Amino acid sequence: MQNLIEIKEVSKEFKILNRREGLIGSVKDLFSRNYKIVKAVDNISISIAPGEIVGYLGPNGAGKSTTIKMMTGVLEPTSGEILVNGNVPYKNRSKNAQEIGVVFGQRSQLWWSLPLIESFRLLKDIYQIDDSEYENVIKLYKSLVDIEPLLHKPVRQMSLGQRTLSDILAAFLHNPKIVFLDEPTIGLDVSMKNKIRILIQALNHEKNTTVILTTHDMGDVDALCKRIVIIDKGKMLYDNDIEHLKGFFGSYRTLKLRLGENETQQTDVNLENALAKHFTEYEAISVSSDDEWTSILINEEKIKLMDVMKAVQDNYFIRDMKLEEISTEEVIRKIYEEGV
Amino acid sequence: MKLKKYFALTRCGILESLQFRASLLVMFAGNLVYLTVVYFLWKSIYASSGTNSVNGMTFHDTLIYLVLATALFNFMEMYAVWEIGRNIQTGKIVLDLLKPIKYRSYLFWSYSGSFVVNFFTTFLPTFITVCIVTNSAVPLGINLLYFALSIVPAVIINYSIDFIVGTICLYTESIWGINIMKQVIVMLFSGATIPIAFFPKTLKNIVNYLPFTSIYNTPLSILLNGNPQNANILTMLGIQVIWCIALLIVSSVFWKISLRQITVNGG
Amino acid sequence: MKKKGINFYLHIYFKILAQDIKSKMSYRADFIISTIGMIFTNIAGFVSFWILFRNFPSINGWSYYEMMFLYGFSLISITPVQCLFDNNWNLRMYVYSGDFIKYCFRPINLFFYYQSEIFDIKGLGQLAFGLATMVYAWTKIGLACTPLIILKTIIFLITASLIMIAVMNAAAATCFWITNSFFVMDLALKFRDYAKYPITIFSPVFRFIFTFIIPVAFIAYYPSLVILRPDNIPVLSWISPAFGCLFFWLSYKLWMHGATKYSGTGS
Repeated sequence: MQNLIEIKEVSKEFKILNRREGLIGSVKDLFSRNYKIVKAVDNISISIAPGEIVGYLGPNGAGKSTTIKMMTGVLEPTSGEILVNGNVPYKNRSKNAQEIGVVFGQRSQLWWSLPLIESFRLLKDIYQIDDSEYENVIKLYKSLVDIEPLLHKPVRQMSLGQRTLSDILAAFLHNPKIVFLDEPTIGLDVSMKNKIRILIQALNHEKNTTVILTTHDMGDVDALCKRIVIIDKGKMLYDNDIEHLKGFFGSYRTLKLRLGENETQQTDVNLENALAKHFTEYEAISVSSDDEWTSILINEEKIKLMDVMKAVQDNYFIRDMKLEEISTEEVIRKIYEEGV
Repeated sequence: MKLKKYFALTRCGILESLQFRASLLVMFAGNLVYLTVVYFLWKSIYASSGTNSVNGMTFHDTLIYLVLATALFNFMEMYAVWEIGRNIQTGKIVLDLLKPIKYRSYLFWSYSGSFVVNFFTTFLPTFITVCIVTNSAVPLGINLLYFALSIVPAVIINYSIDFIVGTICLYTESIWGINIMKQVIVMLFSGATIPIAFFPKTLKNIVNYLPFTSIYNTPLSILLNGNPQNANILTMLGIQVIWCIALLIVSSVFWKISLRQITVNGG
Repeated sequence: MKKKGINFYLHIYFKILAQDIKSKMSYRADFIISTIGMIFTNIAGFVSFWILFRNFPSINGWSYYEMMFLYGFSLISITPVQCLFDNNWNLRMYVYSGDFIKYCFRPINLFFYYQSEIFDIKGLGQLAFGLATMVYAWTKIGLACTPLIILKTIIFLITASLIMIAVMNAAAATCFWITNSFFVMDLALKFRDYAKYPITIFSPVFRFIFTFIIPVAFIAYYPSLVILRPDNIPVLSWISPAFGCLFFWLSYKLWMHGATKYSGTGS
């Protein structure tokens, strides 16, 4: 099948002003300035087929937004070639825009003071959507989410979750081939996140729309993406299935424990210190915790799981425990920290 | 050290203004163009009138007056109404209220940095240029000292008016409308666009009972007066100080009352 | 993709415009205060004009009523920029915060889409004020009122508007390159105040500058010569409509160039 998005050896450079420090530095800056070149995206190649949902991951400042801006035609690549649906986005921005939808998590593109339905009607005109097609989409939306109460509410009066939901619906309205979602679940509560994920899944399924999703929430990735692309400092680190990635970490398992009667977050640091003292190859262990569980990620090639258990039991009272395979969250964290 | 925290704000303000090299240049160029227009306009006005002195002011007097009024405006204008209004709309004001400094002082001292920068980048160069261009028609004597003295209440009066108007923004949603009204009234009645001497008599009388003349007209009249009589100067400065105190009280009380209203209503 | 002709754009424009007016009406207090502010500005502008020129029968060969005609003419010619291109004032904020990017994803002309978002009704008050001033001056001067002269007036008003729009577009577009472009906008707005003076008061150098470099003389002076001094119309007046289109096109190109170069700060 023909690829929908074809990115070949694309790089993007920015010129950044080096500011001097302090009062004297500022005065000097008035008269002379020096710039440095920063490579936001460095020689990236990706191809994406129709109907895929691709998770585009990377730490802050990795170059995710820059790549998306290039795919949407807002930025021109410094070198390399991008084809989106056969168009060069930068050259045919307007034509490209007809075929894509974009959602930026924290920036609503809807008309702030208009009720949602009016925004939809304007978009219908701007994208020249046929009446029948428009009716169908609205019908589909009504079957997927409860939008009736939102339709007549001005966007400025909506909660962040409602706004994000509306923005996503607006992005799919003109039946685009590709939708870019930039951190769509940022700042949302758990139930809203879930709602949004289900909606994205359903829209992708119904319309076979390609979705490119950047996020820091691995829950999004687990719920939606089969394939992930990871970049850091502009360079591509990984492009394949999540399962395949987890395969690299086959020797890792997570030991989940509930410790003591009323242990606090202090446990984290204390436990890590205690384990570090106990094992020579302590870098094979990492500790984290959430509200319920304290998790110890162990590389079993280096350290035996039962040894860790024993070391913990010597110091703490274990109320409960379970064993899990490495989670996406942990895989991604390891990659950000150590690379593939 | 109480003053230290205020000076820290001043320093930040200086740093911030210096970041915007382009805006300094534009302001400079803008003034140049404005002054050119003023120069030619008044030159032809005086040429058409056929006399050297109109309403007791010569061409040089008027020119110096208007040029320095512009320089003073650039030096004193802080767009505080905008700042307060925007902070209210975005809700940032809540953060500022949490700071361990009174909001009124916080804002003032944050701006004081740009006073310093603007003094050196606009007022001083303009003043020197005017002295040279008009062949030192500006009397350089004790009047400079009086002028410097009268600038202090002028700055405070201007800021207090801004702050009072900014406080009104707590009640209305309209920043633009409120701000433009304030700006228009202050600019016209303070003598910043046309010297008060040119006003018709009745208007002049009315304006003299308003605080606005203390901002531009008073300092500039003092500066242009080569041999000042002490009594005269003292009266002018006295009026300034009275307005200054009155407006400080009004702005402070108004702010307190308004703030209570807001906290009661929950914003 | 279907073809997007002028009908498409007009349709979209009026649809967005209607929505904008509807939503403005929902902020009633703001609307009323802004309107009052606008009226204030115009009255104050007129009062300054009156104070300045009431003492002199003529300036540089221009009578009081001819000056008033220029004043009214310039007010009318800045109405379109006020009403239709007011979103230029927000451009700086959108670019600074990175929100400008939201305009880049639509399959229609970016400049059009951006400007269509806001229609400033307040400008209509200015139009009324300008019309009243011009008609008053018109009758006082005793100008004829033939269809031809009215047609000429309309054509040259459009010309003047195009120039003013071009100036503001270009000024707004600077924010794509420099961080704090408020001063550029402010400066450009000041030009509008200079527009109401006859260019003959300036020295030849500045006449050249105000004609070709900063084309303020086209905002009122050259176009209104056609009406006021029909016996002696300079070539520049006749070709000013062409200049209007040219400057508008250039400013549009600059704006779009900036927007496409825009790299989206933040996020």
